[in-house]
Amino acid sequence: MNSAPATSAATDGLIADLERASSTIELLQATAALARTADPAAAAALVQVLGFNNPGAAVAAVDGLIAIGPAAVDQLLQLDPRNYGARAWAVRALAGIGDVRGLDLLVEALLTDVGPSVRRAAAKGLGCLRLQTLPADERPAIEQRCLEALVEAVSDGEWVVRYAVAVGLEGLAKDIAWPIEHPSRGYTCAALGRLSDAAHEDTPVVRLRAALALQRLPSF
Amino acid sequence: MAGEPINEDEALARLRDSADPSMQYYGAWWLGRNRSQHPEAVPLLIEALQQRRPRDPGAGVEENAVARNAARALGKLAPAALAAVPELLAALADADDGLREAAARALGDLRAPEAVAPICTRLAGGPAVAGARQNASPRLMEPCEALLEALGDIGAATPEVLGVIEPFMAHDWPLIRSAAARALLQLSGEPRWAQPLLELLNDSQLQVRRAALMDLGAAGWRPAAAAISATLAENSLKLIALRGLIENGRGEPADEALLQTMDDLL
Repeated sequence: MNSAPATSAATDGLIADLERASSTIELLQATAALARTADPAAAAALVQVLGFNNPGAAVAAVDGLIAIGPAAVDQLLQLDPRNYGARAWAVRALAGIGDVRGLDLLVEALLTDVGPSVRRAAAKGLGCLRLQTLPADERPAIEQRCLEALVEAVSDGEWVVRYAVAVGLEGLAKDIAWPIEHPSRGYTCAALGRLSDAAHEDTPVVRLRAALALQRLPSF
Repeated sequence: MAGEPINEDEALARLRDSADPSMQYYGAWWLGRNRSQHPEAVPLLIEALQQRRPRDPGAGVEENAVARNAARALGKLAPAALAAVPELLAALADADDGLREAAARALGDLRAPEAVAPICTRLAGGPAVAGARQNASPRLMEPCEALLEALGDIGAATPEVLGVIEPFMAHDWPLIRSAAARALLQLSGEPRWAQPLLELLNDSQLQVRRAALMDLGAAGWRPAAAAISATLAENSLKLIALRGLIENGRGEPADEALLQTMDDLL
């Protein structure tokens, strides 16, 4: 976008358009227009769209929420856990934003969600939380939780989730300067080793991705 | 209940219990899904493949449901299930077109060369006969999609087989054209058969775009990677298609570039 950031008045107008939308196509167009503003004032309305059971509009809303970034996290975390469809989209948005406040929801989604596409997004998201923004003394505990969840998900029944776990482990490990003797190095290496080993992993593309991750982490 | 987790012994026991078709149906599915290596699995599935039972509207179960599921399971149990090829060939001649469909898919999964001639015979009338609509039904006279895909999977690239498939590129239904193009691309490797599939990725119907994604993946046509990534469909299906390009295809884009495309869709 070359245009200047939308003013709040413009955002209000787009929110009103969204509320007036009366067909699938109007909802999609209004959501996409609102998403393009990347205005934090649009977050609540975009989160509402996640619950409309309209995949096209939800994809546009997730893109908008990721563009808004950390300012959208509070709204996403306030979603009713019983609204399953909306929560599944929220996991994708939180995974894309990478804010550490999404950690609990991402861990829970990876280990318990019934939808493989939700677990897949959560696994990738746990590998790209922006941990460098944390105070140094808080980082190790958070890193540990991400690692433990990803290692547990190595035995997920769906190949695409295991694929995403390999991607998540690579993302996590490449941003962390574990001392050479640190046990987390061993866990990460063992988990990726398992995913790259035909004796344990029957999906060729998962083995290939895990082997690539090991190759990209030369100190492992 | 049928939906709860069970183990291999329980699945075999359910398949043996011919008094309860819904239990047999689930037992057959379980053995295929879990790639059972148990020596009794294939003989029991062959027995279940003989079962004929009309559709029971109250139970919400399809006609010959147990036999159809037994065929599907056998397709997943190579190499042990190669022993079932004669029975699957018999099922390919059954009056129930749904059972013929399941048998064709299984024979394709098993890469059974014996199936090529009978499948070609069923398709020989072309789109106007094998591909004609059954009266007052959304089904065709033959399960053309499954038959065409099986020919591509089995991989006998003779001029006769190509000659049987090619007329289906003129079928009215995009799903049939997609299956024909996939088989021709698999068998001949000629880029001209990829073009119709790339065009179907832009079809107005989601169902057709999904089929074209699966067909490009099955054919392993790597030049389609960028078009697959940009298709208006669920990322789950694009990921399956891209997995197919990596596992079934060769050449450019190379593995690492394709893996990056997959990473971006997670």
